[in-house]
Amino acid sequence: MRMRQNARGARAAAALVAVIGTLIAAGCGSNGSSGTTSAGGTSNAGTVSTSQCGTKPGVKATGTPIPLGGIVTNQPGTSFTDIANMANAYFTCVNNNGGINGHPIKYYIQTEQTNPAQVAAVAKQLVQTDHVVGIVGNTSIIECSVNHSYWEKLGFFVVDSGIAPECYSTPNSAAVNMGPRYSSDGAVQYALSQHVSKIVFDQSNVPGTGYIAAGPAALAAAAHVPIVQLTENVPISDANSVAIKEVNDAGPNGAVILNFTPPEALVILQAAQKLGLEDNVKLWGCSTPCNTDFLAKALGPKWNNKLFVNAELTPPDSTNTPAMRLYKAILAKYGKAVSGGIGSFSQMGFAEAEIMVHALRSVKGAYTVASVNAALKAVSNFDTGMLCEGWTYGGFPMHIPNNVDYTVTPKDGKMVVAKGCTPVSSVDPQIAAYRKAAGTG
Amino acid sequence: MPSWQEFEPFIVSGLALGGVYALSGVGTVVLYQATGVVYLAFGAVGALGALIAWSLTNAGAPDWLAWLVCVLVSGAVTLAYGMVFGPPLARRDPLVKAVATLGLTLVLFGLMDLLWTTNGGQSRAITLPTDNGGFTIGQLQVTWTQVIGLGAGIAIVVVTTVFLRYTKLGTAMRAMANDREITATLGVPVRRVEAAAWLGCGVIAGVAGLLLANLVALDATTLTFLVISSLAAALIARLRSIVGTFLAAMAIGLIHDLLTPIQSLSSYRDMTPFVLAAVALLVFSRHRVISLSREEA
Repeated sequence: MRMRQNARGARAAAALVAVIGTLIAAGCGSNGSSGTTSAGGTSNAGTVSTSQCGTKPGVKATGTPIPLGGIVTNQPGTSFTDIANMANAYFTCVNNNGGINGHPIKYYIQTEQTNPAQVAAVAKQLVQTDHVVGIVGNTSIIECSVNHSYWEKLGFFVVDSGIAPECYSTPNSAAVNMGPRYSSDGAVQYALSQHVSKIVFDQSNVPGTGYIAAGPAALAAAAHVPIVQLTENVPISDANSVAIKEVNDAGPNGAVILNFTPPEALVILQAAQKLGLEDNVKLWGCSTPCNTDFLAKALGPKWNNKLFVNAELTPPDSTNTPAMRLYKAILAKYGKAVSGGIGSFSQMGFAEAEIMVHALRSVKGAYTVASVNAALKAVSNFDTGMLCEGWTYGGFPMHIPNNVDYTVTPKDGKMVVAKGCTPVSSVDPQIAAYRKAAGTG
Repeated sequence: MPSWQEFEPFIVSGLALGGVYALSGVGTVVLYQATGVVYLAFGAVGALGALIAWSLTNAGAPDWLAWLVCVLVSGAVTLAYGMVFGPPLARRDPLVKAVATLGLTLVLFGLMDLLWTTNGGQSRAITLPTDNGGFTIGQLQVTWTQVIGLGAGIAIVVVTTVFLRYTKLGTAMRAMANDREITATLGVPVRRVEAAAWLGCGVIAGVAGLLLANLVALDATTLTFLVISSLAAALIARLRSIVGTFLAAMAIGLIHDLLTPIQSLSSYRDMTPFVLAAVALLVFSRHRVISLSREEA
């Protein structure tokens, strides 16, 4: 009797699991379809063939592989795998079109969960086990801080997407993006150009907030505009009070500048909208993470020309250059693993891979750590098609090669350009130091 | 010290936040009253339902269908967990039962992170028709969804209190939560009563998930771990009083938000639920009214 009851229970549980599975599959299906919508932007891709990735269209590279490595954070709530996956898509495209002088690229992607010991271990694994000759696509909350000395000791010149201060302030790391500090600088700079009377700069309460806040503080001080610095614990569960405080502190002629991940920024902006506060300040600003069509779509038309987002990379929707078409074509053909589709993350991966391929093509002789990294270091004023200006590595003590940016604003569910390429102000002492070192200041 | 005028908007937002905690906290206490399990997966189950509803709406399904699926999925997941893990854990310590639900929380959280990734800046939102209407208090707009959120908390308190106290099934639930074996000996169909309790809690989690996805955020992390702050309200009410949980949640929300404009305390406002819970536990322990298990109470 008991066994029969148990069997009945098990059958009922199995039926429930099946129902839930079906519903989840329905959920995933729709998620996938929204991904397809995003990739729908790739319709222009037909005008550019992915054969442009290499010098021998349609010929698969069969030579000795060139091993490269990358380290990305992948943990619940924070995943940068799209960047490495897009770089991998580019490398696959190169491999299918002649490779690098007949050599395919073998790209090893290591993921980490913000554990310093693990981050150090995966770097050693890439070097000692996988014998990589170059590091590209690194995007991690702590990787630059943990590993920069290791790369310096071994002579690796890393091409990455920077987050930690060391990604910008050390000699062997050069990022394609501006990172949170300089992107926040750009957002504050735009607000100041609109003659706001006060700045409220709010960011998530994570390590490094002081470093990030120093840039906007310097810009506001130089413009003689008062600035209020706030931090919020994430995830934010009291968005209403956060929005009220920001608006009250900024005042009717002030600006609220946010430096959060898109979901957190969305929570604050939606709270402001629901409370009817969006027009109680002169403008809202945001650093680069807000530059996604997901956000523009979720916010709706009330934020058109009200929210101004700093954009570190060329806006993909309104740009029709060969590089942008190639990026979309590669994404469509090889980028199945790039879950976010068209957007800043995949653009960064594309640009980093481009730089690496450009450097590899200039190597004469064997592909070794010394030859590949010398070639990377020599990259100068390279046009990635994804940035306002050419990208340079160089032998500088610090690197902020992307320091000219766009400002975008939501319009009908998309981010459109509000202001074209504008250099980030040298009032930020770090930008001034870099320009001096690079001889561009 | 800010002026009264500066505090005013935070009273409104504090009540809204209290309503959010109440929705979550009351659901937790209802299940505890009925099964003796502190259901830590309450937030994760609601989040799963809300994310599926979002996907369905995005795929073109009618809103009502998406909301219904949200509630049904939350109910089904909770019922499935209760039916599979409830009986073997029935005789275990309350702490073991709570930790087991933490396992479910982590599995669901991982699943949501996998299926609804935030990679590439993906962010989502659920909008309800009631977002567009409302009224103004001071300078703040109050949407009907916020009113419904607060009303839902009150409705759940009233309905479950009446249900548990005055209906046959409710009485059976309370008896079973107190002592499963004796209740079974008295001829109560414990599996069926347990199933009803788990399903009811899941349905509340689904409704709460949908409302919280709109009121707080449609984000797996936020909704999953919101239960921790709500648990403070439940602890202040010693996991016994549904009305007490509601009032504690409202107090936490109000105090939390009233600290926001005070510059020197603003950064510490997120400690409010835990400080209040710790103070309450200390007071209760001084008066020896706290117990380790329901049997000792």
